[in-house]
Amino acid sequence: MTALPGPALQQAVPSRLARVHEVLAFEWTKLRSVRSNYWTLLIAAVVTLGVTAIVAQSFTSTPAPGHGAAADPLASSFLGYAEYTVLPVTVLAVLVFTSEYASGLIATTFTAVPGRRAVLAAKAAVTGAAALAAGELLAFACFFLTQAILSTHHRGLSLSHPGVPGAVLAAGCVLAACALVGVGLGAIIRHTAGAIAAAVAVIYLLAVFCLILPSPWGTRLGKFTVPFAAYQAVASHPLAGLLSPGLSMLVIIAWPAATLTAAAIVISRRDV
Amino acid sequence: MRLSPGSPPAIGVLAVAVAFAVFCLTDLARARQVRYLPKWGWALLICAAIPWGGLAYLIAGRARTPPGTGVDVPAAVPGVRASGLRVPRRVSVSAVVIEVDRLTKRFGPVTAVDGLTFSVRPGQVTGFLGPNGAGKTTTMRVILGLDAPTSGTALVGGRRYQDIIRPLHAVGSLLDATAVHGGRTARFHLLSVAQSNGIGRQRVTEVLELTGLEAVAGRRIREFSLGMKQRLGIAAALLADPPVLMLDEPVNGLDPEGIRWTRELFRSMAAEGRTILVSSHLMSEMALTADHLIIIGRGRLLADTSTDRFVSAARRDVLVRSPRAGELSGLLTAHGAAVRPEGDGGFAITGLDAPAIGDLAAVHGIAVHELVPRHASLEQAYLDLTSTSTDHHMRTPAPEGTAVS
Repeated sequence: MTALPGPALQQAVPSRLARVHEVLAFEWTKLRSVRSNYWTLLIAAVVTLGVTAIVAQSFTSTPAPGHGAAADPLASSFLGYAEYTVLPVTVLAVLVFTSEYASGLIATTFTAVPGRRAVLAAKAAVTGAAALAAGELLAFACFFLTQAILSTHHRGLSLSHPGVPGAVLAAGCVLAACALVGVGLGAIIRHTAGAIAAAVAVIYLLAVFCLILPSPWGTRLGKFTVPFAAYQAVASHPLAGLLSPGLSMLVIIAWPAATLTAAAIVISRRDV
Repeated sequence: MRLSPGSPPAIGVLAVAVAFAVFCLTDLARARQVRYLPKWGWALLICAAIPWGGLAYLIAGRARTPPGTGVDVPAAVPGVRASGLRVPRRVSVSAVVIEVDRLTKRFGPVTAVDGLTFSVRPGQVTGFLGPNGAGKTTTMRVILGLDAPTSGTALVGGRRYQDIIRPLHAVGSLLDATAVHGGRTARFHLLSVAQSNGIGRQRVTEVLELTGLEAVAGRRIREFSLGMKQRLGIAAALLADPPVLMLDEPVNGLDPEGIRWTRELFRSMAAEGRTILVSSHLMSEMALTADHLIIIGRGRLLADTSTDRFVSAARRDVLVRSPRAGELSGLLTAHGAAVRPEGDGGFAITGLDAPAIGDLAAVHGIAVHELVPRHASLEQAYLDLTSTSTDHHMRTPAPEGTAVS
């Protein structure tokens, strides 16, 4: 072998934007190249739309439009979505980190990109963006499906009705927020089972817990949980005693912000 | 600054999302006929926004080039693109050295690496040896910035691995070939790793061909044998054509052809002036591959020597068989030799070489049926060295050094 002293030695320091793009491409390729992600999303979408149709159908048979959860034609569009989309997508988001920790691939990831917070941010950005896209798509699908069924009984809302587009968009955002909570908890806990349990607890069980608290405390604490806040954000008639829709959206954003901040703190302080 | 092809759509999506969000907020405010946020609500909004701004800053901050990290290790995507299907023979003029200095790593009460100091030089294959649990993998993980050292330093090319920009261009590494996502195809696995360091698609195809995986590139990794996963791991390590290669047990699970291929790969890459550190528990393999040996046990350095010197310094003796063994052994002892009977009637003689023993026997008229000069194999020398430092001894009688040459 002859030594070829080199032009290759000239160091091309990549620009900041180029490197941000590299990390995002890294995570995006990993996300899109696992087939089970697509299957999970597809099944979640099918089940969600099915449940949404059943909910809408049963809603048409109630005698008179009343008030509250069951009577809100906007919020009821998202009853199926709130569980059969949010839960599987949150689990997928948890797996973004925990599957790498389980297989050991995380070592390759952090060897390729030693900036662990950059990896966390890229995973959050890519997962959040994918969840937002899926969420908006399904939220609109759920809305149109529900209103199509309700309109046969002349109770449907149109998208041009004030407050409706905002609520549907907010429903899509909730999915992204829950996915980000999943990413953060996955990064913190590292074990799939534990992280999924924690995500379910944060997203669903805290609200269930608040429901069983004695009277004033149920709403006092409950309004800061994701399901209560999400209801306020998507309902056409928000409930009194809870936070306003705008503040509820802040609550929904605060959960992933807190989780990801905690993840950013621990992820660079410990051994992989 | 050149925008990559993916950027304009991304910016477009972002713009649409922001527009939608603004619309959504104004729409909600109009519908509810309320001031959308009370005064303290805005304060809360700003507070909630801070972590997001922080995260964005972290992405940007990570990406910033710190002054002086201008990296004298070759990065050179052009060189990567130009290289052909053979092992690319770009030579790093600025030879990159791995330096481990008084490195200690404790996991709770367990000291995995204990004051380890060595350096790995370019232009040769360095074998990194030690019994199970000696601290080889931990040392490599510390070098790669995966584990933080309790004390001491581990530097590549004079800087910490974490401080190297696009580190795959400086160090190609393989720690655990099975640490891959089984649901991903080989090509996508390599593509994602390539993208993380700005390496083009063309190079992914090249390393697939180089490692003989092009036929299975589209198959999911869970269908791969261990040997194929090893090839995949080596392919990932070679992606950026790095001047330093660091591999943990790379021949595990490879077939003989694959073992020979990796051996030739390492030797040719070392000949190009690269720095190659290969850990193994297969001494016989290291004897053929490594020019230099770093042997550790219980986290401490046991030997840092060239392979030749290590073998020649190993214990030598002479096997003697004679019908008048008792008489001969007395004679040899009288001449300063140490005599150790072996189970089958032979004697292992140290302190005298074979001609001297033969002459002595001839002078006293003692018939000698066997006279075999032996030196310990690399394997035996290694076992001798590490036997005192193994955590878990196997309680089987160790076979004596087999005769070599």
